[in-house]
Amino acid sequence: MKIDREDLLGKMGEKKKEGFSYLVKITAVDYDKHIEVIYFLRDMARSKDDSIEVEIAPSDAWVPTVTQIYRSADWYEREMAEMFGIEIKNRNARRLLLEKWNGKPSPLRKNFGWGEPYERE
Amino acid sequence: MTISRINIGPVHPSTHGVLRLVADIDGDTVVGVEPHIGFLHRGVEKLVENRMYMQCPPYFEKLDYVAPMSYDEIYVAAVEQALGVELSERAAYSRTILLELQRIASHLLWLGTMSNDLGQFFGMFMWAFRDRDRVLRLLEEVSGARMFYVNMRLGGLVRDFQPGFDERALEVLGYVERRVKEYERFIEKNPVFIERMKNVGVLTKDMAIELGVTGPVLRGSGVDYDVRKDNPYYVYGKLNFKTQVRSECDCLSRYKVRVMEIRESIRLVREALRIMPEGSAVGMPTRLIIPAAKNRIVGVSREMPRGECFVYMVADPQRPYRLSIRAPSFANLAALGEMAKGCKTSDLFAILGSLDLVMGDVDR
Repeated sequence: MKIDREDLLGKMGEKKKEGFSYLVKITAVDYDKHIEVIYFLRDMARSKDDSIEVEIAPSDAWVPTVTQIYRSADWYEREMAEMFGIEIKNRNARRLLLEKWNGKPSPLRKNFGWGEPYERE
Repeated sequence: MTISRINIGPVHPSTHGVLRLVADIDGDTVVGVEPHIGFLHRGVEKLVENRMYMQCPPYFEKLDYVAPMSYDEIYVAAVEQALGVELSERAAYSRTILLELQRIASHLLWLGTMSNDLGQFFGMFMWAFRDRDRVLRLLEEVSGARMFYVNMRLGGLVRDFQPGFDERALEVLGYVERRVKEYERFIEKNPVFIERMKNVGVLTKDMAIELGVTGPVLRGSGVDYDVRKDNPYYVYGKLNFKTQVRSECDCLSRYKVRVMEIRESIRLVREALRIMPEGSAVGMPTRLIIPAAKNRIVGVSREMPRGECFVYMVADPQRPYRLSIRAPSFANLAALGEMAKGCKTSDLFAILGSLDLVMGDVDR
């Protein structure tokens, strides 16, 4: 289901009330023109899966945090923030996997070059 | 009350790889633990974006070096789904058998390392590794390699089972079954093991779902969810097995779930070997030129020894455009901070061991 960034928190809260209480993963895909952030949810009791997609512009890359709704979002948000350079609003998303690296450009963005090695700080 | 901060790792015998823990302790009580990961990060998700489809399985196997076959399989399954490749029935049975053998090997290794974490290196650890090797020899016979098999091809396996594989497999399964029974007797009468596992690292059902743990940790907390049962793939829907759930929610219940899963896997392999149809399980050659992908976006979910792995792939004609892995160890380690709150420092390692982490899987 594709929704706007502004509706994200409301929709996630609704989904959780419906029974989708388990967060499987948060990830993102860089489609050059836009970045898609995907939240995979699961209803354990009925074995049903669902996903919520949010499209954002690469120049204005931020999403609100969902940790107050799904606590397990913590590490997935941190990973996504450093891998895609997406800012997570309303929380301090410290670095997770690449602690000692300045992180520019973001490694999983498509503009990350293949040729030259990147120096760590 | 003085809180001191201690550093554990990144190289420590009980961290199963390179994991650094920063623990805040008050006396001997853990107030908070912060895992620092990323020492084994190899950027597999990025690397595969620059490789042809069938160049990637070796990268995946190195993610979980304790159960490489399962990562090999999930990647190939994702590619198969993207390209619309059908599997022969014998291939589906063969893969089920191999995955379950891999689960037995992985759980046996866990049993050994868990005992090691509790200070019993010269008993269980060595026995469990010896038995695991019997299972690895079976997988070696099938694939030609002892640890990193690269045994999956689109639509099947590299080669069919050798003649007489059934008998050899059944013999090993019988052996493992006897040994596991013995170990259970050994462990469950061992006060050291019980004392250090019981009521340690309690994770209630609601917390388990909230923290997003997976696999035996989730089932050890009383949540009845197993991808093999709830969302069956290959021939799991046709085979007769039970999801192992325990509701004591502590480290001991995680141990019990894993031991029961070894038994359940033995039963599964026996049944699958019995009803496996004739035919060929051999897949397509690797050098085959692949036509454009049929499905651009695929998601594949598998129950691995460590828990549920989920691969989300956006497919390009010749290579993955984006591939995202939800690693089971990553999900379980994220819950450590919450689980370890209030435990004793020495119990921290019991909890860490009971999560069955593989750092390659956490860092990817």
